[in-house]
Amino acid sequence: MRRWLAVLALVLVCAPARAQQPAGASDLPAAVAEPLISVGSDYRGSVIDIWGVNTDRRLRGDIVVVVRGPNQAATVMHKRRVFGLWINSSPVRFSETPSFFAVLSARPLRQIVSRQVILRNRLDPAASAQLASAVPAGGDPSAYREALVRLRRDQGLYQEFTGPPSRTRRSGLTPHQGGLFHAVVRLPANAPIAAYQVETYLFREGRLMSSQRIPISIERVGVERRIHDLATNASWLYGIVTVLIALAAGWAASALFRRS
Amino acid sequence: MIYLPIAEMPVDVLLVLLVSGAIGFVSGLVGVGGGFIMTPALIIMGIPAPVAVATGASQIAATSFSGIMTQTRRKAIDWRMGMLLSIGGILGSACGVWLFERLLNMGQLDLTISLLYLVLLASVGGLMLAESLAVMRGRSARGVTVLRRPLRAVARNLPFRLRFPRSGLYISVILPLLLGFGIGALAAIMGVGGGFALIPAMIYLLRMPTNVVIGTSLFQVLIVASLIVVMQASATQTVDLVLAALLMFGGVVGAQLGVRLGAGLKSEHLRALLSLVLLAASAKFLWDLGIEPREHYVLGGGRW
Repeated sequence: MRRWLAVLALVLVCAPARAQQPAGASDLPAAVAEPLISVGSDYRGSVIDIWGVNTDRRLRGDIVVVVRGPNQAATVMHKRRVFGLWINSSPVRFSETPSFFAVLSARPLRQIVSRQVILRNRLDPAASAQLASAVPAGGDPSAYREALVRLRRDQGLYQEFTGPPSRTRRSGLTPHQGGLFHAVVRLPANAPIAAYQVETYLFREGRLMSSQRIPISIERVGVERRIHDLATNASWLYGIVTVLIALAAGWAASALFRRS
Repeated sequence: MIYLPIAEMPVDVLLVLLVSGAIGFVSGLVGVGGGFIMTPALIIMGIPAPVAVATGASQIAATSFSGIMTQTRRKAIDWRMGMLLSIGGILGSACGVWLFERLLNMGQLDLTISLLYLVLLASVGGLMLAESLAVMRGRSARGVTVLRRPLRAVARNLPFRLRFPRSGLYISVILPLLLGFGIGALAAIMGVGGGFALIPAMIYLLRMPTNVVIGTSLFQVLIVASLIVVMQASATQTVDLVLAALLMFGGVVGAQLGVRLGAGLKSEHLRALLSLVLLAASAKFLWDLGIEPREHYVLGGGRW
């Protein structure tokens, strides 16, 4: 029901846009089903539903959908053997890495656009990562970049999908009739709670025709929110409350077991 | 499954309760806080390390307070000694937090923690195992006097001697203060209460009678752990109240059962058991450091 409402809303929104479509680049009509995702105590990740329309009259071109989390710093370290022990060494710092990144397209990205366009529009997570420190002697910068993407991908934080979702994977991009497309991105529970951005792109013959950015936000609600607010705004009080709860728990257990 | 507001991830409630209960049981049995097992266990479950360290401390506070209640009823706490150890511990943990930040900036915190665990667990565990085995075989504990004799001589000649009627000791206050300081610093760096190192030190260095050792060390651990919770909560905001509540519940119930069972056991058996736990834990750290990892790169920094 929700999805059909989204589609209906979309059709209403993009109807005038289609009627007076200019020759140049324009906004790609798109919408998300839930612009606000709330995180309660039963939160186990969520799904971002994106609907949009290819505005090309003959439905030429390729749609690419990107979901991007806020940037954050990260450090990648290389394990080395020293005196028989494997230790973390040669740290390399990235000043900006996307905390979450998903890119969806109907066919492989490299068939749609060139490497330069991917870099310019930051269509893959490695292209979005900014190296901030010098790579130690003998180290390979691209190896660190690849390692960053691989480690985050293993955590489910970086996703790259071609084609529609299937039984085994729930993220994907599905084209529908009349240029309508539907993208589904699974947001794992370990993805940071923050403001995200959904980006939709229309590429034709390797060139960007139109695009659209939609902000979405993930927010704590209820008890989760109250605990988090207390921890950040009144951290001393929060610490003391935690200790008092600990003492109460210890006392209660001791008292209960004494009686029995 | 329940979502943790600070760690920002869901955990299996039953699993956390089971693990914390089991660790609480061991801690009640042998009188250690259990942090040296709890912190690595939480990290294995996928909790970010700083959250595991800070939240683990709140569970240690709960478990040790529950243990103290039981030990007080048995009059098995040397309050005077406990106060001195705690004063040293408070200063030590402040120093430890400072050192923690320095090491973190140098990027060598992980290695330092692992090596500290390895060396400390292995030496303390080995020493205790040797001693308790000797006692069990009917010989008196003369095996480890090598380490003890010169230190006792030093302790006797230091100034500010004080009588500790509960422990039947007459020693310098400098010794418990220094010991508390060292344990406090270790506790802050390693995310543990420090009981596993404090108990042997009290037995072998201070020569305290075994029956008051557990209660007194619990008192010091409680003070230091509570302080670490407040400091971490205000400085790094890594204390997760929901996770802490789960750990406390499992921990205190387990600890009560452990204390109950521990009361019926001989002290040399308890010590042998503790030493085996310590040796097993140190073997785990040696294994982790010595085996070639499948993934040669690791992610650090980031959100925390």
